[in-house]
Amino acid sequence: MSPDGSTRPEKAAGSERNDDAFGSVVTVAFPLGPRPALRAPGRTPRHQPGQCDGVGACAGACPNGALRVEGSGPGATVTIDYGLCLFCGLCVDACASGALESVAFDELAVRRRSDLISIHRAGDAAPSPPVLRDEVAERIGRLFAGSLAIREVDAGSCNGCEVEVGALTWPRYDLERLGIRFVASPRHADALLVTGPVTRNMRLALLKTHRAMPGPSIVLAVGACGIAGGPFVRSPQVENGVDQVVPVEVYVPGCPPSPMALLYGLWLALGKVDQRLHDGEFPFPAGEHRSNSGP
Amino acid sequence: MTPAPEGEDEASEALPAAPRPPPPPPLTSAEEEVVLRAFADGTVAWDDTEGLWSLEVPAEAWLGACLLVQDRLLHPLASLFGEDRSSSSGSIRLHALFLGGRTSSGVHVRADLLAIGPVTRSLWERIPWVVPFERETAEMFGIEFLELPDRRPLLLHELHPRPPMTRGPASAPTGERAPYPFRPVEGGSVYEIPVGPVHAGIIEPGHFRFQVLGERILNLELRLGYTHKGTERLFEGRAPGPATLLAESVSGDMSVAGAVAFSHAIERALDIPISPGAEASRGLLLELERVAFLLGDVAGIALDTGYAAGAAQANVLRERAYEALGNLTGSRLARAVVSPGGLRRPLRTEALPGIGATVARTSEALTVLHERLLDNSAVEDRLLGTGVISRAMAEALNLVGPVARASGVDRDLRRDRPYGAYRDHPVRTTLGEKGDVAARLQVKVEEVREGCRLAGVFLEGLGAEPTVAPREPVPRLREAAHGLGWVESPRGEFLVWVALDAQGTLSRVHVRDPSFLNWPAIERAVQGNIVPDFPLCNKSLNLSYSGYDR
Repeated sequence: MSPDGSTRPEKAAGSERNDDAFGSVVTVAFPLGPRPALRAPGRTPRHQPGQCDGVGACAGACPNGALRVEGSGPGATVTIDYGLCLFCGLCVDACASGALESVAFDELAVRRRSDLISIHRAGDAAPSPPVLRDEVAERIGRLFAGSLAIREVDAGSCNGCEVEVGALTWPRYDLERLGIRFVASPRHADALLVTGPVTRNMRLALLKTHRAMPGPSIVLAVGACGIAGGPFVRSPQVENGVDQVVPVEVYVPGCPPSPMALLYGLWLALGKVDQRLHDGEFPFPAGEHRSNSGP
Repeated sequence: MTPAPEGEDEASEALPAAPRPPPPPPLTSAEEEVVLRAFADGTVAWDDTEGLWSLEVPAEAWLGACLLVQDRLLHPLASLFGEDRSSSSGSIRLHALFLGGRTSSGVHVRADLLAIGPVTRSLWERIPWVVPFERETAEMFGIEFLELPDRRPLLLHELHPRPPMTRGPASAPTGERAPYPFRPVEGGSVYEIPVGPVHAGIIEPGHFRFQVLGERILNLELRLGYTHKGTERLFEGRAPGPATLLAESVSGDMSVAGAVAFSHAIERALDIPISPGAEASRGLLLELERVAFLLGDVAGIALDTGYAAGAAQANVLRERAYEALGNLTGSRLARAVVSPGGLRRPLRTEALPGIGATVARTSEALTVLHERLLDNSAVEDRLLGTGVISRAMAEALNLVGPVARASGVDRDLRRDRPYGAYRDHPVRTTLGEKGDVAARLQVKVEEVREGCRLAGVFLEGLGAEPTVAPREPVPRLREAAHGLGWVESPRGEFLVWVALDAQGTLSRVHVRDPSFLNWPAIERAVQGNIVPDFPLCNKSLNLSYSGYDR
């Protein structure tokens, strides 16, 4: 192990020139050490009630109904559902008052669906983070003692989430070093990781796979589709989210969630990290936010 | 394989017949005359919004017109779909797009069927790959295709009170399952392996029936539709800008290709100009996406031969390409970047120098990796002669993309119907010969290398021109419009046809993913191979389930 916690593969003699092309250390230092943030502006919308003019251009621009403005003027109520958000940034582009900004925060995974919904009513005091209800976290942490065997089920995704879930197994993220692995059968799994809106045609297969998994077990709903139907919400051919079919323990927003956002969600599922998002509020800027700190 | 008996009862009629077509029906001179007269009269007009000749024929001339276009003009059928126009003209309109191959031309044939009890003759006897198109159009629009040998549902697994793509409120399925008989296999030691819909890896869902003797695969039959989301219907009534996000989610691992094809269709329909800077930016994103995507195929093939180190190295390179896209756009799959009119947001100029270095390094590292793969006799032994698709088969199935090129079929939309930045920077295509897994690996490696080269070229072409699409790119229309967009995606020819009403909202969108043509190839490729080589055939073809099912 190197000082930054990443593993350093040994080079074979004589192959130095060749292996330089691949880079000698590629694995991220998660969970300790600096987070390899994308060097690009974030895509997570954040609403600051004080500056809002209540015009509602943002809600009109949202392609997915994830953002709603009720009432108008400074007295308007603004609701953001991070579960349905596609992180496309159209709402921020449409906002003239500056109340909406895009921030680089993607540790958005939560245990309760309602924690993905931010509601700003006029006159409300600045929202304070509620106390973490961590009984569930503790119980899961004890049960799985830091290891997790996952069965991935694509319940009708566009295959975007599969790119990012698959990336977790590559050298850059190297999931198995964290005691987490993907298994081929639900009989061997502690957890189902489900992507896609759950199409009508996958509903039965998802139910059967869930039933085949020995208890105790958990379910992670991944991506805007897995949480609420994503861009396919309200199609008669989909069920609008995994929790319409099987109970869900952890929700991981994104379209698709990046591998780092997925790692955070898995760490949350194992109870190794605190939930950052409560009632749609998250700590930002990073002064209040220690990245990926362990317990 | 036994051909299906002539249909006396419903059960046997529902079974697919053997893929050996009977002698084609001769065109009646009356049918031929209708089409020839249309050409002579000038009712065939060049349609610039589609880059196709437009041919509208009466319903009774549908078969004749389609066969004439394919047999005499030699444009292969690229897509067939329906459009419900019962509210305006009281008809269900059938569309057939004929394009592809070495010419930049093509023909769009249209015919109006009566909205009540629409019926026409199947094209399958002369165009065998039309069967899934007609099965889908039958279930989605309630059209009966006479003589169609396979009447089973394609994408709908449940019964619906009304064909879901016909006008009226969106119809929810009833919950009752539609019957789906598989082709029976008989014989002493023949057994069947059912696989899916949930697969063992991190991959999309679908159902495969292998009929096997010992380890040898006699036959494979697919059933798809598990990821059907009713996407084409969801486009309807939306404005083009926000609907681009849906186009990105048809095959979500090729979101740039989907967004560019959709944007091209809108831009042609509404005559929206694109700046050279935006075209170069799109070209850069398209090639970076191709590099990332095809490196995944290289990794998958290496892994399925048991060469884990090679797979890991290919995945290191692939991750770098996704990080490059993330640094350029804020989204690793470059979501919500391309939009009708240009780009929704400019590429980050600070990230550009790093991209040039990344593609140069990737190209160099790939050379090393490819040498190692070819230098390994265990890898070689697994790839050579496995999963063969002959050139004749590739042409008979009208395959597209790197899969077709690996079988020696010379087609690439970047060259054959050049668009955007490819007009000035032609692609160099690589062809294989044998059509086996080794040839597909070879072609994909070369296409990664060529993608790196083109990315570097487009990077230099990024000038100071504005690339960002105007906030409201859609001018107010006075009449309905339509357009066709095409992109050579990492899997091959990706087509989007759009129709807009006079208010500028989408009234019909049809998406033809390359995998809709390529899926039948896997049934052919595995015949005579052993079961453990199936994963290699599968990875080397890399077919999209979501693109097929939508």
